[in-house]
Amino acid sequence: MTTATIAEPGRSAVIGDDVGLILAGPTAAEGPEPLISFLSRSGAPPVFSRAGTLDALRLSGVQGRGGGAFPLWRKVQAALDAPGRPMLIVNCSESEPASRKDWTLCTLRPHLMLEGAVRLATLVGADEVVLHLHRGAAEPTDSLRHALLERREVMEGDPAWRLSSGPHGYVTGEASAVARYVHEGVAKPVFSSVPMARRGPSGRPTLVCNAETVAHVAVILRIGAEAWRSFGSESCPGPQLVTLAGAVPLPGSVVEVAGAPTIGEILRRAGVDDPPLAVLVGGYAGTWIRGHVAWRTPLEPTALARLGAFRGCGLLGVLPHGACGLRETARVTAFLAGETAGQCGPCVHGLPALAESVSRLARGTAGSRTVRRLRRTSNALVGSGACAHPDGVVHMVRSALDVFDYDVIRHRAGSPCPPADHPSLFPVPAVRAS
Amino acid sequence: MKVVIHVDPTRCRGHGICSLYFKDGVELDHWGYARTIDPPAQGRRAIAQARRAARACPNDAISYEVVETRTGDSLQSW
Repeated sequence: MTTATIAEPGRSAVIGDDVGLILAGPTAAEGPEPLISFLSRSGAPPVFSRAGTLDALRLSGVQGRGGGAFPLWRKVQAALDAPGRPMLIVNCSESEPASRKDWTLCTLRPHLMLEGAVRLATLVGADEVVLHLHRGAAEPTDSLRHALLERREVMEGDPAWRLSSGPHGYVTGEASAVARYVHEGVAKPVFSSVPMARRGPSGRPTLVCNAETVAHVAVILRIGAEAWRSFGSESCPGPQLVTLAGAVPLPGSVVEVAGAPTIGEILRRAGVDDPPLAVLVGGYAGTWIRGHVAWRTPLEPTALARLGAFRGCGLLGVLPHGACGLRETARVTAFLAGETAGQCGPCVHGLPALAESVSRLARGTAGSRTVRRLRRTSNALVGSGACAHPDGVVHMVRSALDVFDYDVIRHRAGSPCPPADHPSLFPVPAVRAS
Repeated sequence: MKVVIHVDPTRCRGHGICSLYFKDGVELDHWGYARTIDPPAQGRRAIAQARRAARACPNDAISYEVVETRTGDSLQSW
């Protein structure tokens, strides 16, 4: 189901291709790559040195790929400087409903990520590595479990491994919620003025790293920081995993992108020939960008920042011409509103109000009161929570009002889009099984 | 000396007592939940008000730090 294709001309990476750094190896149809195959393809891991590893991470400039984009070496340094033995948690849960990059990585290339995890654990002196997934994520869980058995037979000096399966949900995959779940079984974000890398919910320095980030660590230590950097751009060094969603030939396909190709180049290779109506960049808490603008924008932080956007989890959601951006926004907003952890008052009260306002806009029943309410709710939500969930939702909604401004006027003027009986373009899980 | 005030939004239930005691450091949002004013009022009086606000909260949602401005390291977000 998940395929992987492309990247930049000359450096394209298909699953089963030898060119990519992350997705190279056997084809998707062959299933998880066995340890023997991984080692014979990429050679034995280089000898570990603590100083060398930290230097390589610093030189590489690798940033968190779960969405935070925080420099990894700073997090590692903070954990090393803090008192207590650090904990390492690899966040494989991928709570973004449309994103599949971590799923793909953990299912098809488990050994690359595991090698990176061992390196990080050795660097910070963690005696245990927790691999955190959502319950019901059968393929990656099985693949990782099998990969750990393989490692146990062949590799020596591994830390203790623990597979953790947490409840489904959006906010449950937020870093502090993951750390709290691992520590005390409650998958809700934690409010703290101290970074988790210094002191996590358990009281120990806690590193929560995205699965893709951890896989990059393994690559950086294998090929060197400079070589790895050259696969990216100045503001986003290294290759990126990108998930394509919405109106693309293969929704949920994952591509490895090298350099800083434009979103148009990436979409064209994925089978989208012309600029769509709009693209949702970075995840459900990301940014709507007009199709023709996105088409010529490179997928790298500096160019995206000019549009008020960020690469987030690397999601590109394609909204085709003829679809209603407000309607899709209303659906996604309603989903996100239902995903509040229920801890902070503004989020509990504000997100449903915001979702209701957006829904009225989409249905064409919004008067000027609704518009005022939407603005007031948005302003009150920003910066109000223990985590950035409300901020993310407000950011996405604001970008929608900006990009679909003409639709807002048209819907309010009494001619909304005809009621759509087609299913949502983007996956919005209805049931929260926890 | 500088006073830094924290509101734990996961604990705040919107009693609003904090903003009565420290109205130049904490305000109430649209729904009546506390949020910090940035920057909060400073000075010895402000520190005393912050202390009172923190003690008065029935849910322990308010905390404050007094930071030496010369060693303002703990003020850094990282």
